[in-house]
Amino acid sequence: MSWTFKILDILRLGFHSLGVHKVRSGLTALGVFIGVCGVISMLAINQGASAEAQRTIQALGSDNIIINSVKPPQRVQTGSSGGRGALCYGLTLADVECLREAMPGIVRSVIVHRTLKYAYYNGRNLPVVVIGTEPAYRYVVKMNLAGGRFISDADVLRHKPYCVLTLGLAERLFGFVDPVGKCIRIGGEPFVVVGVLTRLPQSLLAQTGQADNYAIIPITTERDRFGEYTVMWTKGSAVFERVEISQVIFQMADENAVIDGVAVARNVLPRTHAEMDYETVVPLELIEQKKKQMFLWNVMLVTIASVSLLVGGIGIMNIMLATVVERTREIGVRRALGAKRLDIVAQFLVESVVLTTIGGAVGIVLGISFPWLIERFLGFPTVISAWTLILPFLMAVLVGLVSGLYPAMRAAALSPIAALRHE
Amino acid sequence: MENIWKTYQLGSVGVTALRGVDIRIEQGEYVAVMGPSGSGKSTLLNLLGCLDRPERGSYYLAGQDVSTLDDGQLSEIRNKKIGFVFQSFNLIAQLSIVENIEVPLFYQGVRRHRRRKRSIELAGLVGLGDRLEHHPGELSGGEQQRVAIARALANDPMILLADEPTGNLDSSTSDEILAVFDELHRQGRTIVMVTHEQSVAQHAQRCIHLRDGLVESDGPCGGDHVDR
Repeated sequence: MSWTFKILDILRLGFHSLGVHKVRSGLTALGVFIGVCGVISMLAINQGASAEAQRTIQALGSDNIIINSVKPPQRVQTGSSGGRGALCYGLTLADVECLREAMPGIVRSVIVHRTLKYAYYNGRNLPVVVIGTEPAYRYVVKMNLAGGRFISDADVLRHKPYCVLTLGLAERLFGFVDPVGKCIRIGGEPFVVVGVLTRLPQSLLAQTGQADNYAIIPITTERDRFGEYTVMWTKGSAVFERVEISQVIFQMADENAVIDGVAVARNVLPRTHAEMDYETVVPLELIEQKKKQMFLWNVMLVTIASVSLLVGGIGIMNIMLATVVERTREIGVRRALGAKRLDIVAQFLVESVVLTTIGGAVGIVLGISFPWLIERFLGFPTVISAWTLILPFLMAVLVGLVSGLYPAMRAAALSPIAALRHE
Repeated sequence: MENIWKTYQLGSVGVTALRGVDIRIEQGEYVAVMGPSGSGKSTLLNLLGCLDRPERGSYYLAGQDVSTLDDGQLSEIRNKKIGFVFQSFNLIAQLSIVENIEVPLFYQGVRRHRRRKRSIELAGLVGLGDRLEHHPGELSGGEQQRVAIARALANDPMILLADEPTGNLDSSTSDEILAVFDELHRQGRTIVMVTHEQSVAQHAQRCIHLRDGLVESDGPCGGDHVDR
């Protein structure tokens, strides 16, 4: 019991001594304060960026495996392939069928065929990305409706000329008119707008590098109207490309199924594809990579910010050493009056720890407000988690302990007689 | 409790401050230690006050051999059994009068309110009951020395050691302080005072003269000079 009172007393004594030199104590604590503030801010900003990136990847669906058709690199270089007809590449229905059988744990799979067309309504003509797909697309890509409905199985079955527009496209095409039920032309063909999606997930934009201008139509209709060929005009000569499937998305049961599935896909596809005319995108892997990368960033930023903590610690050690010299007489008196070595160590240690703790506490308060201001006025996302607060605070306390220890030991090592004689 | 023994010898390559001093101080005695500078007075006082350990010889305080104790144990002895009064007062400047008086109790682990009570009591005893919250810098030398005496009494010490307590004071305040010591002696305190002024020493019952680390004379402080 008595030692708890003693600790309280020593704490009180520490505050008292620090209070005597308010400016000096304040300036000393400033070093720690800046360090703590810096660590918290840097972590908050980095975590904010990290969370944003992860959200983007997550939007792709962490349980998805996405396989895209890509133009094989060799042929990109050659450009036009000498009029030998169409350029054929990419995934085929046969591939999808094959993968479906080979990969365990598939919940759904969705195929996509993409073409570039112009959409026309009431005098406005805008470029659109036409996505021919199946109703399940909505669940796999996680889109939400702002109005109307999504394409249905019946639409696919009956090759209906229905389309669902993304919000950005709808706004540009229709202005303030409600697009649902209106008729537009896409690539010259008439389509009825049946639904509008909410703002597109960042993922799709990032992935395709496209603006928010998608028109989603039943895949059957897409094939009927636009076919598998695309024509590109370069310098007056036409290049034909034939792509059966632009993209296939497999939604897997869980993360293990994703890992297994990717392995299978990477094993199976090369057997039918001589060239790399496809790419597999695995959000789960991307997330892992991102996490690793962000961890490294965290380590680096914390290290940088720790330097200021270290400098603050040296400052404290310096001041405490000066204090010990200045108060040698006091130490002698205290020793003569019965203070043990440990009491003296405790007294000086408590002073430095109190100093860094106060610095740390103020640093936390400002470390919280600074990222908040950044988020508020610069719109940069920041995340403050419990450990981003606890870690710098503990570091500050540790700095106090370490930098206070040496001066405190020096103080205690003084012989009482020498200390008393000190002028 | 009963008596204080001091058998002491010190020999070193460097300065040998004390070369075999044998003294015995009974409880309730008022002893003045005299001698020219360099005679070992201060060293003797440091040893008596357990601030230092003898190189050779032994020191019995209340029957306990103190010369073999370690630093922590010595601190405890100082804390509980010894009161110090210094020539330069040695009050802690940042602390108020009451807080200064409290310091020995602080290290005894006495609770705050009890500490405060006792120190107010002692401040009253030395006639400073009305300056409790003042700081040492605001007091005169005589007043500061009274505070130091109050502090030395805080732990109800077995022996009160004073190192030239009047060395920094003018003669009238010196007399006041010496009167305080006389009063304490009347109350039965054991006092050992180092001084080089004959007039101061005369307040004591017994004078020990030191010269070159040896006891030159030990006897009652008569009115006149003390000889062998």
